[in-house]
Formats: sequence, structure tokens, C-alpha cells
Amino acid sequence: MDVEKRHFTCVVCPVGCEVDVELRDGEVVSMTGNKCAKGKEFVLQELEEPMRVLTTTVPIKGARWAMLPVRTDRAIAKRLHFSAVQELASLELQAPVGVSDVIVTNIAGTGANVIATRTMKRHEDGKPA
Amino acid sequence: MEADVTVVGSGPAGLTAAIHAQQSGASNVLLLEREEELGGILKQCIHNGFGLTQFKIDYTGPEYAERLVQEVENTNVRCLLNTMVTDVSADRTVTAVNPDTGVFTIESGSVVLAMGCRERPRGSINIPGTRPAGVYTAGVAQRFVNIDGYLPGREVVILGSGDIGLIMARRLTLEGAHVQGVYEIMDYPGGLKRNIVQCLNDFDIPLHLSHTVTEIRGNERVEGVVVSRVNEDMRPIEGTEKLIDCDTLLLSVGLIPENELSKGAGVGLSPITMGPVTTETMETAVPGIFTCGNVSTVFDLVDYVAETGMTAGRNAARFASGEWSAQHETLDVVPGQNVRMLFPQRFSSHDDLVLFIRAARPVERPVTIDISPLDIHFKKLYARPNEMIRVKVPRARLTEITGAIEVSIAERQ
Repeated sequence: MDVEKRHFTCVVCPVGCEVDVELRDGEVVSMTGNKCAKGKEFVLQELEEPMRVLTTTVPIKGARWAMLPVRTDRAIAKRLHFSAVQELASLELQAPVGVSDVIVTNIAGTGANVIATRTMKRHEDGKPA
Repeated sequence: MEADVTVVGSGPAGLTAAIHAQQSGASNVLLLEREEELGGILKQCIHNGFGLTQFKIDYTGPEYAERLVQEVENTNVRCLLNTMVTDVSADRTVTAVNPDTGVFTIESGSVVLAMGCRERPRGSINIPGTRPAGVYTAGVAQRFVNIDGYLPGREVVILGSGDIGLIMARRLTLEGAHVQGVYEIMDYPGGLKRNIVQCLNDFDIPLHLSHTVTEIRGNERVEGVVVSRVNEDMRPIEGTEKLIDCDTLLLSVGLIPENELSKGAGVGLSPITMGPVTTETMETAVPGIFTCGNVSTVFDLVDYVAETGMTAGRNAARFASGEWSAQHETLDVVPGQNVRMLFPQRFSSHDDLVLFIRAARPVERPVTIDISPLDIHFKKLYARPNEMIRVKVPRARLTEITGAIEVSIAERQ
């Protein structure tokens, strides 16, 4: 029988419970340290596939600033964050862009969209006003 | 120029103060911003986690700022951009300068100070060594990456585990740099737990507690740093030095409230918070001059910054309307056992007393926050210096009190 012990710090709320899990053949046999049910849910998700919202930037032309801040519209698998960033690096955006505008659909095949997190107005040659 | 309420700075504190001053009846609110856009530092904080307490929504910094800016645009608050305030006087005359008008003054019914804070630089911690390029504060690196699109280096060491340093460890990693580790002089981390997990653990970036940088090497550009373990007195231990090859050192070693204008106005500063001594109404010791956000004391969460902005804006409008002109008698609010920092420092019996408390030492067991001489106790699951504790004492409970209000943190039996 394959017994494995794993440790997680829950980040659902600021308490940050330290959770210990014991697995036998990949099945959870015990979980201790979590003070609530959300913590259990978090750890089970971490065991299956850690999910995070990705926040990053994309280059943009014709705007006051060189970079447009963006995020995924939902949490995506953590292991796909680097490929998502690579996919975004090849984009060539043009101002204007509105906040919450969809920049890329189905990023890295996750089904999530990448959206702008600020309004970026059109700006002459990107020079200051 | 004239205004009922003049707000200096348009970060989350200033924007919220301006909105709430207007909503509380001040018809002529003026918001002054030295940059070309409203929003302050939120614009470069592209990560999420903003507004969870206040709006129950997980915003990024720019989204949070844009929500507040839109609210301001729906009011008749007048915003002056590219406008640098050079002086605030005790009679509430504000002197400012901008390219359109030159130097001008504003006679203001009340003034809200919302200038925020700045980062402690290398000079404030005296790291020995050469002075090469490649040493940045974490916030400057954040601006380079997130707004200007420059990567500040490839091989990075981060000194200090403040939240901005942790956030930048993740950000630089995602952008292709290699972060070798975060070194923290204290024996506990400076930043929030969720940032340790999501920014360091998620990317296998090691956190070295009780360590500091004792030398910077390189002439033109950083070539390496020497790190050492420190003892209980935070002195480097001889023989523990280790050279790390790197081209960049980021500093995340604390923030200081930016109070040059406050000093000019003659408000007294607290040696603990480094911000103005303030009552629960956010009024300073100078009548009609209010303060909010990180210029008052450095907060962990934007939600708390906005809450103080709300209070300052509302009370600045009350003051400007003549609703209260003379200051009430105030009681001192003083730190007791295991309390390093307390804000506000005075109680003037106008509002509920919302206290922001920082523990001196971490307690990873249930504690009570005791408000003496009253029999008021708040239960908390733990007390950590890196997580400000907020409690609200209703005004009605404080009417009978004379003398100082002492706040302490005790382990629960």
C-alpha cells in the first residue's frame, strides 16, 4: 500500500489553516487542521488540480502606456499559467480597449477568457498629453 | 480658488474621501492629483485580492481603481490632474502648482490628506557594498514591468518579505526571470499568508527567515549579493555568509507614510505610525485637517484604506458645513500588552471607535483584544504582526469613560 502525507496552507480566508492530508493509493484517508468545510474543498481541489486566477500584462500600441493589465475571467489550472503567458506575449493589441473587454477567448485551451482590467484610451503615438 | 473640501491625492483613500465628502453634503469638492491619471498606486497593482471585504468581489488593483474613478466621475467632484500640492497651512489654505495655472491657492473649508506612502530605499537600511545599477525597490520594479513593459533583471534576489516583494517574486517569475529567494531579517514573514502561498510556494521560491543581505557586489551592474543569517538581535552571524550570483536585488523592506505636507500644516506625527496623530473621525490635531489611508499608517488591505477615506470624507464635509467647528475633548488611545501599533491615537466621542491594531509578536493561538478600563473583549483566532486587526467599539459604550483607553492582546485561557 502506498501511503503519502501532504501539507497545504489554505488561502480561502486570512486565517490560513495549516492542513495535513494522508493519502493511501491516492485516496484521502484523513485530513486535519482545517477549521471549516471550505478548507476541505480547497485542499481537495489542490490535490486534484490547483486552480488560480492569472493576472499579467499584454503589450498595447497607440496608448499612453506600453502595457495593458489583464486577467483570466475565472481560475485556471496553475500548471497552464506559463503557457497562457506565452500565448499572450505574441498578441499585438491596439488602443482603445475598455475595462472587461475580452482580449483572448479560451486561453491555453482552458475555456476561460482573458479580459482587460483597465480602460486604455487611444493616445497619439503613445506620447504624453 | 475656493472649495468646501480639498482632497490631496487620488489613490483609494483620496477617491473614497472625495466621493463621501460629496455624498455627505459638500457641494464643492476638489480632488488634487500630481499624476496625469486618477487612481494612485493601484494602477500598477495588477494582481487580484482587492476589495474582498468591502465589495465582496475579487478585483485587481486597476479594476478597483476604475470602479472608484467612475463613481467620482458620476459626482460633481472637480479633479485637477498634473497638480502638485506644495503646501497645506493650518488655516486650510492649500498651495498647488500645475502647467495650466501655474502656482495657485485654494481657501478650503476642510482638507483631507491622502498622499499615501513611499518605499524605504537602500539608504534607509544601510547595506554595505558597491553602488551598481540593478538595486530597485519592489514597487519601482512593479511599475517597470506592469506599466512600462521592462524586465528589471534576469537573476533576482529579494530582500524583505513585504507583500510587494512577494507579489513581484511571482510576477518576475511569470515574465521569465529567475527569483533565487526571498530573504527576511525577522523570524516571521512580513507579508500576508495568502501571498506566501500563492507567490512563493506556488513557484517553489524559497523564503529564508532570519537572513539579510550584508553586501552588494558589482561595479556597473549588480554581480552578486552576500546573505548572512542573523541572531536574535538581528545582527549578522559571522561565518554564515553566502555569495549569491545575481544581476538584480529588489528591496521590499517597508513603507513610510509621506507626510511632508502634514508637517508643514503643523499636525503632530506619531513616532509609531509615522503618520498624523488622529481621532476616530480622522481629524488631525489641526482643526479641519483630516487624514486617511496610508499617509496615516500603513495598512495591509485596500478595504481598510477606503474605510478611513469614507470616515475622513464624511467628517470633512461635516466640518466644512460648520456642523462642528471646535474640537471636543479627546481621550488618548494607548497600546498595552503585545500591541506595537494602534490607529487612531485619540477618541473625540463623535463616531464609533474603529481600531486598527498591529501585534508586537505573533501568537498562533486564540487571543482576546481587551479594551480597558471597559469590560470589552474581542475574540480572535490568532494575532500576527503582518495582519492588522480591526475591531469596532460602539460610541455608546465609550460615553462614561475618562482617562486613557488601553488596547491589549492577551492569549485566551
